[in-house]
Formats: sequence, C-alpha cells, structure tokens
Amino acid sequence: MITYILSLVFAVVWVAVTGSATLHNLIFGFALSTLVLWVVRDEMGARGYWRRLGRILSLLALFLKELALSAWKVAVLVVSPRMDLKPGIFAFPLTVTRDFEITLLANLITLTPGTLSVDVSEDRKTLFVHAIDCSDIEATKRDIANGFERKIMEAFR
Amino acid sequence: MMDILLAATTALLILGGAGFALVAAIGLNRLPDLYTRMHAASKAGTVGSGLLLLAVGVHAGDLPTFARALAGFFFFVLTAPVSAHLLAMAAHKVGYPLYAESVRDEMKDYDKRI
Amino acid sequence: MTVAQVIISYAVWLALVVLCVSFLLTVWRVIKGPTLPDRVVALDMLTGIVIGFIALIAIRTGFTLYIDIAISLGLVGFLATVAFARFILSRGNRGAPKGDMMKTFTASVPEPRRRSAARRSSGTGPAVRRKAKK
Repeated sequence: MITYILSLVFAVVWVAVTGSATLHNLIFGFALSTLVLWVVRDEMGARGYWRRLGRILSLLALFLKELALSAWKVAVLVVSPRMDLKPGIFAFPLTVTRDFEITLLANLITLTPGTLSVDVSEDRKTLFVHAIDCSDIEATKRDIANGFERKIMEAFR
Repeated sequence: MMDILLAATTALLILGGAGFALVAAIGLNRLPDLYTRMHAASKAGTVGSGLLLLAVGVHAGDLPTFARALAGFFFFVLTAPVSAHLLAMAAHKVGYPLYAESVRDEMKDYDKRI
Repeated sequence: MTVAQVIISYAVWLALVVLCVSFLLTVWRVIKGPTLPDRVVALDMLTGIVIGFIALIAIRTGFTLYIDIAISLGLVGFLATVAFARFILSRGNRGAPKGDMMKTFTASVPEPRRRSAARRSSGTGPAVRRKAKK
C-alpha cells in the first residue's frame, strides 16, 4: 500500500521535473517509479516508512543548517588576515555499522564546519577525519557523536 | 511588489553564490596544504555553485524549473564530499604530506599497515 | 525595463565579474600546483565556477534548459575527479614526495624526471633519488 502511495508521489515529482502535466506523462511516471521501487525492493524495508520520514527530514534540516554554517566559517577563516591554522587528522570511533550509514555520516562530516572525512579503516570501526582546527578534538568528536551519528541512528534504525 | 521581492531574492542568491565562489578561490590560494585547500573547495565552492543554480530556479518562477534546480543543487551537494573524500584518501595513501604545522596525524600508522 | 529587471541585471553583471576573478585565481592554483592532487582540487573547483557561469547565463538569457547542461557538467566534473583520484592511487608512490608525512613539500626533484627515474628502479624514495642523480 505504502509503496503505491510512494510511487504516486514519485510520479508527481516526475511530472514536475519533466514539466508536462499530461495524463500520459503521469501514467508513465507512475510506471517508472513502480519499476524503480521494484528494483530497490530489498533495500527499502517499507514498514515504518512514514514514521521515519519525519526523522529523515529533521536530519536534512540539520544538514542544511550545518552546510550553511560550514561555508560561512570557511569564508571567515579564508578572508581573515592572519590565518591561525592547527590542521590535523584524528580518528573517530564509529558507532554506526552498516555501509550505508557510514557513507552518509562521512558525507555529512565533510560538509560540516572544519572537518573532512578522509578514510575508513578496513574493519569499519574508525573514521579518519581531517580537521582544520585540531585544538579541541574531544569536543569535535562529541559534537559528531551527539549530532549526526545519533540522528542517523534514529532515522535508520 | 511581488516581482521586486522575487528579484531581490534572486539577486541575493546570485551575489551570495558568487561571493562564496570567490572566497573558495581565495582559500584555494591562501591555505597552506592540499587537505586544508580541500575544505575551501568542497564547502564554499559547492555552496557557491549551488546557490547560483537555486537563483535560476527562483528567477524562472515556475515549479518544474525550480524542481530541476533543486535537484541540481542536491546533486552537487551530495557529490562534492564524495570526490573530496576520494581525493584526500588517495593523496594520503600515496603519501602527499600534511602542512608542516599540522598538530597530529592519527592515520599515519594505519597507512603503513597496508 | 522594470525595477525588478534592473536589480537582476546589475546583480548578474556584478556576479559575472566576481566569478571571473575567482576563475582566474583558481587557474593560478592549477598553474602553480605544486602537486597533482592540488591541481585536481583546483580543476574540480573550476568545474564548480563554470557551473556558476552557466547559471548566470541562464538567468540573463532566460533559457532554463541551461540547468540541465549545468547538471551534466557537474556529473562530468565529478566523474573526472573520481577518475583522477583512482589514477593518483594507482600511480602509487611515484608522484608523491615520500618521507615524513609532517614535512612540507620538498619537491627537490621535478616531477617528470622523478617519474622516469622511478620507472628505471622499482625501489622507494631515497633509492630513486640516488639513481636520478647519476
């Protein structure tokens, strides 16, 4: 049931993106989104979708806020006359385990102020993060663990 | 009145995007090493081109165009960290050094084990 | 011309000038290097700036089809950066100034010479440099 509603939503998005609101196009979009949802049927796990949607949206809001803040901080750093840099790479112990969650966390870390994820260890337990300001690593680690990592756990567990 | 408001929003987005692009370019020249430069390029640069794309969507003022511009914005925002991460990982594994005044490198021992 | 059009046209002009300056600054980084990854970062940034240019042209001319071109350019730029990263990884130690990671760029041997030296001997840093001096 939820899959049908979802493909209807995708069909409407399809109509909006292609920009021709005819019945044929809507039906085609519906068929296309049904096909796409069928292809990813195993990954989705449709139960609890709507409950999750709110949390995903809140993650998205946090992400957009952090992105704006991050670009602003880089801008301030770059135009300040005396750059006071303490760059370095620190190891962040991961709590999330699935590949998808690690990927998401790494991307979010890259787009937050002053941090850039460099690599994941082979055993998927450590994320190496390059930080532009390494003066207080424990605080940075705490911020990531309590912010993004907790939100990801809430949204996808 | 409405169209002036729309134009003001567009102008703000345009100038903001161009400003962030300029800041990223300055950062690319001022920052001392590859990894810190990546911060400037992947954050300020992405936000810069993303804002300019959003400006196109707002300026056109119809939903399909705005949806396309929004899709483009998210596409850039999602691909930039992936390419930055890949490049940083490759450079570090191969052994391009960090800035001399870097305070720590906890990945150093990990690299050597490979 | 209405007030709205005047606002937009001034903003676009100013933004075009600013983007030109940032384009030139980024090109300067491409020329200066000093290493391949630095250039790749700068080239990636150039793609972003060109996308900005395309967006401005879309606003000026009113052809919203430019958005699709910008998206495809972004895709091409992303794939190029990924390919470059794979290349840097597969090229291995030959391109990088090997030694202490905390040292600044020494760049004692110019890149093409070092690469040809490395092809002759499969050894690591110091050995390569000794051979290159012969």
